[in-house]
Amino acid sequence: MSDIYKTKNIAGKLARSFLHNPLTSLLGIFLLLMGYIALQVTPREEDPQIEISGGSVMVILPGATPKQIDNIIVKPLERKIKEIKGVEHIYGVSMHNVGVVNVMYYIGENRESSNLKLYDKVMQNLDKLPKGVMQPIVKPFDIDIDIPIVTVSFYPKDNSNISQVELYERVKYIQNRLNSIENVAKTTLKGEKKQQYNIQVDLKKLSGFHLSMGQIVNALKSLAADVPDIKNRTVDGKLAIFGVKNAIESIRDVKNLIIAQYMGSPIYLKDIATVENGYNIQNFQSTEIIYKKNGKFTKSKKQITLTLSKLKGTNAVVIADAIAKKLDEFKSELSKEGVGYKITRNYGVRADEAVNELVMHLLVSIVIIAILLVLVLGWKESLIVTFTVPAILAVTIFVAFMTGQTINRITLFAFLLSLGLLVDAAIIVIENIHRHLHEHDAVDKDMDDILVEATDEIGAPTNIATLAIILTMVPMAFVGQMMGQFMKPIPQNVPVALFTSLVVAYIFTPFLSRKLLKKPKLHHHEHHFQKNDTELKGEEK
Amino acid sequence: MKIFERLIYSILNSKFKKFLVLFITLLAFVGSIMMLPSKLVLAKMLPGKSANTYSIYVDTPTGSSVEQTRRVTQCIDGILQKEKEVVNIETYLGMGSPLDYAGLVKGSGFKRSENVAEIVVNLTDKHKRDEKSFMMVHRLRPVIQKNCENLVKGTNIKMIEQPAGPPTLASIVVELYGSNAQKVRKIAKQIAGILKQTKGLVDVDIMQDEIYKKFELKVDKEKVIRSGISIKQVNQILYLAFEGMNVAIKNSENAPEQIPLFLVLSKKTKELSSFSKDALKDKLSSLKLMNKKGMMTPVIELVNIKEVDSEPTIMSKDLRKMVNITAETDLVSQVYPLLKARAKMKEFFSKNYDVKSTHLFNLQLKDKKTGEIYDLNWDGEMKVTMDTFRDLGAAFIAALVLIFLLMVIYYKSFAISGIILLGSFLSIIGVIVGHWVMDVFTVDTFFLTATSLIGFIALMGISSRNSLLLIDFAVSLIEKGMPKRKAIAVATATRAKPIFLTAAAIILASTLLARDPIFGGLGVALIFGTISAVIVSLIFVPVLMDNTKAIKDTK
Repeated sequence: MSDIYKTKNIAGKLARSFLHNPLTSLLGIFLLLMGYIALQVTPREEDPQIEISGGSVMVILPGATPKQIDNIIVKPLERKIKEIKGVEHIYGVSMHNVGVVNVMYYIGENRESSNLKLYDKVMQNLDKLPKGVMQPIVKPFDIDIDIPIVTVSFYPKDNSNISQVELYERVKYIQNRLNSIENVAKTTLKGEKKQQYNIQVDLKKLSGFHLSMGQIVNALKSLAADVPDIKNRTVDGKLAIFGVKNAIESIRDVKNLIIAQYMGSPIYLKDIATVENGYNIQNFQSTEIIYKKNGKFTKSKKQITLTLSKLKGTNAVVIADAIAKKLDEFKSELSKEGVGYKITRNYGVRADEAVNELVMHLLVSIVIIAILLVLVLGWKESLIVTFTVPAILAVTIFVAFMTGQTINRITLFAFLLSLGLLVDAAIIVIENIHRHLHEHDAVDKDMDDILVEATDEIGAPTNIATLAIILTMVPMAFVGQMMGQFMKPIPQNVPVALFTSLVVAYIFTPFLSRKLLKKPKLHHHEHHFQKNDTELKGEEK
Repeated sequence: MKIFERLIYSILNSKFKKFLVLFITLLAFVGSIMMLPSKLVLAKMLPGKSANTYSIYVDTPTGSSVEQTRRVTQCIDGILQKEKEVVNIETYLGMGSPLDYAGLVKGSGFKRSENVAEIVVNLTDKHKRDEKSFMMVHRLRPVIQKNCENLVKGTNIKMIEQPAGPPTLASIVVELYGSNAQKVRKIAKQIAGILKQTKGLVDVDIMQDEIYKKFELKVDKEKVIRSGISIKQVNQILYLAFEGMNVAIKNSENAPEQIPLFLVLSKKTKELSSFSKDALKDKLSSLKLMNKKGMMTPVIELVNIKEVDSEPTIMSKDLRKMVNITAETDLVSQVYPLLKARAKMKEFFSKNYDVKSTHLFNLQLKDKKTGEIYDLNWDGEMKVTMDTFRDLGAAFIAALVLIFLLMVIYYKSFAISGIILLGSFLSIIGVIVGHWVMDVFTVDTFFLTATSLIGFIALMGISSRNSLLLIDFAVSLIEKGMPKRKAIAVATATRAKPIFLTAAAIILASTLLARDPIFGGLGVALIFGTISAVIVSLIFVPVLMDNTKAIKDTK
């Protein structure tokens, strides 16, 4: 056995070529570094991204009843949309004045082209819509942009008398500032009250003065006219510009508007109506908040909720952090004005927590396995196997990053699932090396040869076994529906991890063994319970 | 190891013991499979997930005012304030709360009417709180519904939890198709009634508008033309008077937007004294219109008032008229209440309809008198569960076939490949029993979930490797000239060590998973599946190897 061992398969070949290569250690460091960077830069989310394509078409026909809408708008529209390929379900809703058709594509349909197809279909059939309808509104669903990752609730502090309109103006300003944060997409306000001059006419006085609502409208319209500046020229060719100022400068101007003459004296608007500078009272929507302060709940307060969403494929954790920081800058300023705020939703924190929790699980599992190996094989061997785990995970995370995946609950779940499997290859190689080193004829053999041979021997069965496990994962990629999308990270990542585990085991286990393990100096013999065992372990899996 | 070798050898040498092994294995297999229909182990797609937040949807009947809706939300707020784990409560009146995964499919984003409200409840951090959010929902649901639903008759309050997996419209959705709208309303009500009676189902709701009374003003065309007023004018003034309109705009340099001038009748003077035709008549007689000549005509002289029913919104799915009836499950899997409700429906409707089963659980009702057909399809989480389990089942079979082919290529023998396949399939015993054990030891129900199935599929590969190791070694021992039985016994005893080692690695790696609410099923499947896989491959597989003729003595 003094001649150099001839490798039979890829396992031995890999082991041989990397055994003395000075680049092997560099490669190891490079892999770990790559994984670390990927772990840091890969966007984190709580739930994986589900590709849902769909949209809704809204058509308004003022004054139409649900039945009319159904017959002349929704039904024809549904039929036309049915012609689009890839549409799974069409939902029609016919209400008073409005018809809505919601379209759901099959899951996995390309979002951009689906949106385009829907828009195209509606636009092509504009001529078939009945007379009097307004331009149809086509709105595609966009989960990333529609689901806010952070919501902030702004409310007046306990003893502040900030008006709802002032609160709105403050929040509007903050909305503009937060919108400038990188990767923040859509921001919306909920429960805002906009400034408005309210003119509430007393019906009794109106009829008492023999007035009609139409007269008031005309009077207001004539007052509020805005005209652009007028350009005139002087004799010597210079410009002389003059303009009429809007007659309404303040609420007082509205109050003192003369509507009509009654028995010789003018009737002012304030005589027949309450005129005030308030908020849009016709908006029935409002939001309230109750929160705990010093262990007690406050009274119900009117609030404005600011919602912020992120662009697709960006890191929820980073964006949420940036938002919280920016809000902190406003804190004292807002406090002075009597405005308090609470972050009522933070998906960034939730994503980070979920990810960190699973990373923790991953680490604890690795430690437990390491301890097991120390007990069974010895601490050096255990160390070698334990090194391969981060190397394998590093490659897997890097591949996930390169293929545009995010780190989320399901990706980490895939890692945890594969953890029990991916140490196997390394365990098998190290166990075989361990056994070969303690064999009777080990002293006569070259260390390198023993390592390569031990690796090579188990190559074929290990490859087959790993291939079998990879094969069980592949069909999972074809699970359809939402759940299939949700689980996609498993068939995407487990095979990568398993394949990497093979390569890493073949390259690094012999390499590290050469550095760490020594041939037993003395020809001691361990008692093998079976002579055959020593000879035939070559066929070990 | 010697003892183990002898044990295997003695089993192989005794026909009775071999039979016993096969028999016990069969018994264990049948027994574990029976745990599914006997409901010792319950299946569900994904278990509940403890979260730091949940929502409450309030729907007062269509036509209710925002003030009425507010009464209900205030009642709920009051109950929530007694909870010590609640941090803050946000109420969104007349609209949906900021969109989340649940709201996305439940149509929260489309809410824009006075009769809807959503409440978002934020809780303390789940790690520092004893009560899981779904337990809290379970506890509060009856309290809230009992106290607050009666404030406005016909109110529906739903407790919405964050979904653990993909969101669905509801756990159970019954789609009722039929072209006779009135009949559909009636049947929908009956179905909702049955769902309400079914144990384990809560938050039953029919997704349709309630029909309410309203007034219709019919314009008297002749009078309108004679008084020199246009119909458009009548419409506009009525809208202006009671709803109000922005009649002019003031541009402002300081405000973020233009300031509209909003004109409307004052709240006090436009209010009707009661909900009646006379009250409306009264109001309309004091509201006057002016024609071009300056003559004033009261609105009431131009219109006739009629009390009519409102026209409800018409819903359709895939071009057919449809009404959804939804229900949530309360801590239980949706599969079993569904089957119960379905049986009850079949019985209930068979009086007036011919009931026919169509695809899967779906039913078709044919009116015995008129021959009208109503389709009753199940959708929602139930359908997703069915589809997922079906797809995973298919994935599982595909995995079986792939492993089989791989083994056939490797061993070039159908019999040996069959043994490996059978050996790995039997890990299902451990998977099911494991769930039963966990269910016994945990407080809430431990469901067999989609993640359990994934674990089982992964197990296939792992346990096929055990058998592979064994057979590989035994065959090579036989080639060396060892008698078959001896070789099998030796191989089993020798391979026990690496099999145990890799099994231990998997079990240890999965113990942390088993505590996770979502991936618990997978962890348990891996732990108990691996244990049973080890037992099967060390005792059952050797017996099969001995029985097969594919492994032959060399002599």
